[in-house]
Amino acid sequence: MIHFRVSTRTLALAAAAAASAAVALAGCGSAASTPAGTASSPAASSPAAAAGSSFPVTVTASSGSVTIKAKPVRIVSLAPTATEDLYAVGAGPQVVAVDQNSDYPPGVPVTKLSGLTPNLEAIARYRPDLVISYQNANGLVTGLGKLGIPVLIEPAAATLADAYAQIGQIGQATGHLTQARRVVAAMKAQIAGYVRQAGSSHPGLTYYWELTASPFYSVTSSTFIGQIAGLFGLKSIADAADKASDGGYPELSEEYIIKAQPRIIFLADNQAADGGQTPATVAKRPGWSAIPAVQDHEVIGLNDDIASRWGPRLPQLVAEIAQAVERASG
Amino acid sequence: MIATRGRRLRPAWAYGVAVAFLVAATLVSALVGAADLNPIATITALADRIPFVHLPSGLDSLDRAVLFEIRLPRITVAIMVGGLLSVAGAGYQGVFRNPLVDSGMLGASAGAGLGATLAIVYLGSAGPSAVPVAAFAGSLAGVAMAYLSGAVGGSGTTTLLLAGVAVGLFLTAVQTYVLQRSTQDLQQVYSWLLGSLSGATWQQAGEIAPYAAVSVAIVLLHGRHLDVLSVGDEEARALGTHPGRVRLIVVAACALAAASAVAVSGLIGFVGIVVPHVVRRVAGPSYRLVLPLSLLTGAGFLVLADTLARTVVSPAELPIGVVTALVGSPVFVWILRSTNAVRT
Amino acid sequence: MNAIQVAGVTVELDRVRVLHAVSCAVSSGGWLALIGPNGAGKTTLLRAVAGLLPHRGTIRVDQTDLGALRGRGRARLIAYLPQVPVLPPDLTVGEYVLLGRTPHLGYLGAPGRGDRRKAAEASEWLDVARFAGRRLGSLSGGERQRVRLARALAQEPRVLLLDEPTGDLDIGHQQQVLELIDDLRRSRGVTVVSILHDLTQASQYAGHLVLLAAGRVEAAGPPAAVLTEDLISRVYAARVTVTADPAGYPVVTAVRPPPSSQPSR
Repeated sequence: MIHFRVSTRTLALAAAAAASAAVALAGCGSAASTPAGTASSPAASSPAAAAGSSFPVTVTASSGSVTIKAKPVRIVSLAPTATEDLYAVGAGPQVVAVDQNSDYPPGVPVTKLSGLTPNLEAIARYRPDLVISYQNANGLVTGLGKLGIPVLIEPAAATLADAYAQIGQIGQATGHLTQARRVVAAMKAQIAGYVRQAGSSHPGLTYYWELTASPFYSVTSSTFIGQIAGLFGLKSIADAADKASDGGYPELSEEYIIKAQPRIIFLADNQAADGGQTPATVAKRPGWSAIPAVQDHEVIGLNDDIASRWGPRLPQLVAEIAQAVERASG
Repeated sequence: MIATRGRRLRPAWAYGVAVAFLVAATLVSALVGAADLNPIATITALADRIPFVHLPSGLDSLDRAVLFEIRLPRITVAIMVGGLLSVAGAGYQGVFRNPLVDSGMLGASAGAGLGATLAIVYLGSAGPSAVPVAAFAGSLAGVAMAYLSGAVGGSGTTTLLLAGVAVGLFLTAVQTYVLQRSTQDLQQVYSWLLGSLSGATWQQAGEIAPYAAVSVAIVLLHGRHLDVLSVGDEEARALGTHPGRVRLIVVAACALAAASAVAVSGLIGFVGIVVPHVVRRVAGPSYRLVLPLSLLTGAGFLVLADTLARTVVSPAELPIGVVTALVGSPVFVWILRSTNAVRT
Repeated sequence: MNAIQVAGVTVELDRVRVLHAVSCAVSSGGWLALIGPNGAGKTTLLRAVAGLLPHRGTIRVDQTDLGALRGRGRARLIAYLPQVPVLPPDLTVGEYVLLGRTPHLGYLGAPGRGDRRKAAEASEWLDVARFAGRRLGSLSGGERQRVRLARALAQEPRVLLLDEPTGDLDIGHQQQVLELIDDLRRSRGVTVVSILHDLTQASQYAGHLVLLAAGRVEAAGPPAAVLTEDLISRVYAARVTVTADPAGYPVVTAVRPPPSSQPSR
């Protein structure tokens, strides 16, 4: 019987050599492709290429600075709020693809892309010259950076000022800074109007904002939502229950909610996909009839999408809260 | 070609098949993906990288960047991780003379999971970049704990295995406790635990390469020692080896290999336990063969699994641990049945 | 010249003293049979001589103190086959016999052509070369014993320590194995120490017997001196007669009085 004898030592050395050769070869490829990659954006290299724009531009977002060489015409949005922002500032015609959760305004080019688990190759297939997302998942920024594609990360806003700033950044990045500023000014005016009308001081007016039911997750006054409600002087019943590890989104027990006796209940989970909670279902919960909000019929179902985004439809959210405040204090 | 009725493939054939499998898997993986690169142009672009070969590539610069910066690094990391997990699993199986042992044993997986969880929960913004290091350190710490608890002099392998189980359970319990106190990190932690190769970079490959090379070399060089161990501790000592010392070295090297893999890919199960079995069925039980063949076969297997993970429901991705189990189980059962060894 | 010298060896297992100051010796190329009732400490003594157990007292093999020999050095000198072997069923005979070359390889070494030749020679000597490709799990009892001896032979030892080499073999295979061992001893000058249950076999093959009971040497010497009715019946608590076969070897036969109304002594 013929014995084929490969000493494992030889094999180990050969494998190591082959591996390092392959890595070196491909590594040379990376050094060569980066300059080619950055040259792939449209050849509008002169700054005054388009009227009213000022490219190249460096946008300073909360996650760092991003340089965009020319006005982007193939934008991919992986965040529903960013999609709304883009269309509000007039960059709609420049958008080629939005993620599966973006649904406003109607008619946006929805795809199966995901901002939660972005697939770099799938994004690259759209040959974008700007990508906007709400988190840097799966090495999105570095990965697309290697392809020469700039990425703007606009995370969940922590304050109203954040939300306005994001609209301004998106306007700047897409060559619509003027219109972005106009949108923000209009939002501010509308919101100020609602606050004036409903009043900005309502001591004793507490609310329970329901994110989910069973388990019951709520928000504190320090969160983005809490700050908006705070414009009217409202206080969340969840404030006392918040622990450092909850990050402003504590879980409440039913007893706690009932004992806290909120005057208003906002339901951010009334769409079927989120739990389908309505004022009627809340009234049926055992023990909840002892809550003033239930007794006074101050249980309001919100548009879940508007309540979970921080884009140009914020004034609508503020309007709904204002209505509830006026009724509850009137 | 498949060994039947207890006969095996000759070593030369076995190596040939394993290498061909790895090369084929790599090629297939390079040609498919969500970016829909033209296959012919892709082959030309790859061939162009061979020294002294100059071919005009049909890919434009963005596609070439996708190939060389997104796809190839991912394939390379898959090769490394698949090889590391398989060699670690095979090495542990040799040390413990137990075919039910996986590369995550002795607290390696549980330690990595706890390390990653601690990094994600307590290191906040620095978390994501710290996770690989934390997972690596946690994995090694887990094995060290198990070894110190279980390697009581002269107690043999069962005690060590049991210590590994106990340490694993303990570390997992700690991890669950930490997660319970900060539920907003649940999604991030679990997506890491499920294992993923997306976002693999050349830098990652370069970072684990030295650990991978050292650990794999040490394990491969001890193949003959593992064969001697297969006749039991007493006869192995009578033949002049030191079973305890060999076990320590091989366990340490396997732990390093598994930790390197886990650091970049998260927890991927099934590979370390099944690939060595398949290899053993086809090429016999000698570890001098099983170890290098597991390295090659495991690499090819994970490349294939990752290809499926990123194309089947594109652009979404299946967690790779799910793919290895779903694909690997039927294949494993088929191998078991078709290489039905003669039993006495 | 004594190939093995055991002097005052005491062994404790789990804090129980199993051997009490045992002394014995074997001359080079001789065959020592260890006999005695179950639990007498025979296996313990054999394992101590194999260097596998810590002990008090001295054991010298080939004029060298056992404690001075380490790992591979000891294994090049002494081959030890335990009573119950671990035989991985899927390993081939060829691979198993090749394991015997382990003491002659460096730490990172692999078997070379010379090692394979010696393993093949050992297999041929034991007549197992023709099934070098067969799995260990497919061998019969007799074939298994010969394969194990081939592995021991491949070690090229000076001393062969065998714990019950005749195991579960039938009478024909028992004789075959014992003849092979004796051949080995005479043609290569290998010193043999074996534990044998069958006292007659011990007398036929071993030139020197050591009778152990409760961890002590009860008697030592040539078969005729050790295999006496008084000694055997006392130590084994059995009824025996000792006769001689045509070649002059003592034959120990168990005796059973015919069933009768008389009470047994």
